[in-house]
Amino acid sequence: MADDKDVLRDVWFGRIPTCFTLNPDEITEREAEPYYLLLPRVSYLTLVTDKVKKHFLKVMKTEDVEEMWFEYEGTPLKWHYPIGVLFDLHASNTVLPWNITVQFRNFPDRDLLHCQSNSIVEAHFMSSIKEADALKHKSQVINDMQKKDHKQLWMGLQNDKFDQFWAMNRKLMEYSTEEGGFRYIPFRIYQTLSDRPFIQKLFRPVSPEGNAYTLSDLLKEMFPAALPTEREPKRYQVLIHGIEPLLETPLQWLSEHLSHPDNFLHICIVPAPSD
Amino acid sequence: MASWKSHVRARLQLRDHTEKRPFVGVFSSLSQLEERFEARKQFLGEVKSESQERGAVDVAINTRLLQLQLKESEHFADKLSQTVSDLTSVLYVKEAEVQYWQSRVSQYREEALTLAKGSNGLKATLAQLDFTIECQAKELGALRAERDRVQAELAQARREKDELLQRWMEDKREEADRLNNYNDIQERWQRLTQQLRKHLHKEAKAHVPTVASGATAADAPRSHQDICSVK
Repeated sequence: MADDKDVLRDVWFGRIPTCFTLNPDEITEREAEPYYLLLPRVSYLTLVTDKVKKHFLKVMKTEDVEEMWFEYEGTPLKWHYPIGVLFDLHASNTVLPWNITVQFRNFPDRDLLHCQSNSIVEAHFMSSIKEADALKHKSQVINDMQKKDHKQLWMGLQNDKFDQFWAMNRKLMEYSTEEGGFRYIPFRIYQTLSDRPFIQKLFRPVSPEGNAYTLSDLLKEMFPAALPTEREPKRYQVLIHGIEPLLETPLQWLSEHLSHPDNFLHICIVPAPSD
Repeated sequence: MASWKSHVRARLQLRDHTEKRPFVGVFSSLSQLEERFEARKQFLGEVKSESQERGAVDVAINTRLLQLQLKESEHFADKLSQTVSDLTSVLYVKEAEVQYWQSRVSQYREEALTLAKGSNGLKATLAQLDFTIECQAKELGALRAERDRVQAELAQARREKDELLQRWMEDKREEADRLNNYNDIQERWQRLTQQLRKHLHKEAKAHVPTVASGATAADAPRSHQDICSVK
């Protein structure tokens, strides 16, 4: 069990070294130095980039500043996806630090949601948690919590407090031993080569015969092409928090230990590196 | 530990080894230096403006430096108090967690007690049932012995009944034989009687006058003796 808690810690304290560079098209009073930051994998871009904004605003005039947004190699980065998911999806297998371009103009309304304040991130985060609990416990656990408990979850994420967050989140991870797992596994499968944002369907952790479903079973059902075959070389990498778990890993365990703070298991399927 | 679990753990550590560890030292040092630089810049500005306000052009550089250090110390003191505050809140969270686990422990203890009581009750019931089974086994043994005895008596009675039946059949057969003998004798007697009657009748026809004159009462017993000798 101690090992399992270590996994939770490793997941929570995952960091991505990032270099923020101001878009050269932005109008500045002097040249802007890049800003370096270790981004928490489980957090959201707009939640941890106050310092970045402050850094670049020093060289800009107020009238030239609109809403801040980020892009990586021409792809706008969705702030409502966890940072780790964005990295695994767009920049895994690239040289570190991760180079993100910061922009203050020409907000891509068609690609990104507006985010004027942290309260919007909070609303999105709490909405995801509620959706996940609806799948796991028919919303019974989240509805039994008080307002302050919801706040504790949010503050734990916002202030990067592992203990504060998990003191409350462990209730969302409980289930009765008779059931053998959650009602359904809250998961989302992201692909780089698809217009579809993600795959999300109902999937139980245990078969009607009482056997635990694995990651392989889920992929077989949702994205069979991601499974390796004996005949051809590996085409895809299945990444969760930047690692490739074994396909025989039970889905219930993955959901309990490798879910993001929003209680969803975010799975990225990216093309396998050719070298 | 399951292989898939150790695989996940190992891969997470490998990930941090390549993504986090090589950068964490440099990034945190850079961040601290930037923070310190910003703070110094701000304090220096404040100290300069204060000196200008006082009009003390001849303020020694040492004094400025001391003020700067003082401001820095105050800044770090603020940060330390923030750290203390953070640690205190972590302590509260931990205490709440300890309380939660203690309540779980007491809940499990109560459950264990209830289960132990239940177990004791079941053991007592089991012992009682064992005793009942033993009594019933003894009773069953006694009943079986009784049944054997009764069966033996029944067999004896059956044998006696068969013997009696045999004897009764024997008697009946003897009685039948006797009756048949009697009937045979009776039949012979009747035949003899008829023959005698015929003979008497013939004799009577042939000697009617003699018999009519010479017949006396003394002749009757003689006839009776003849009958007996025939018999």
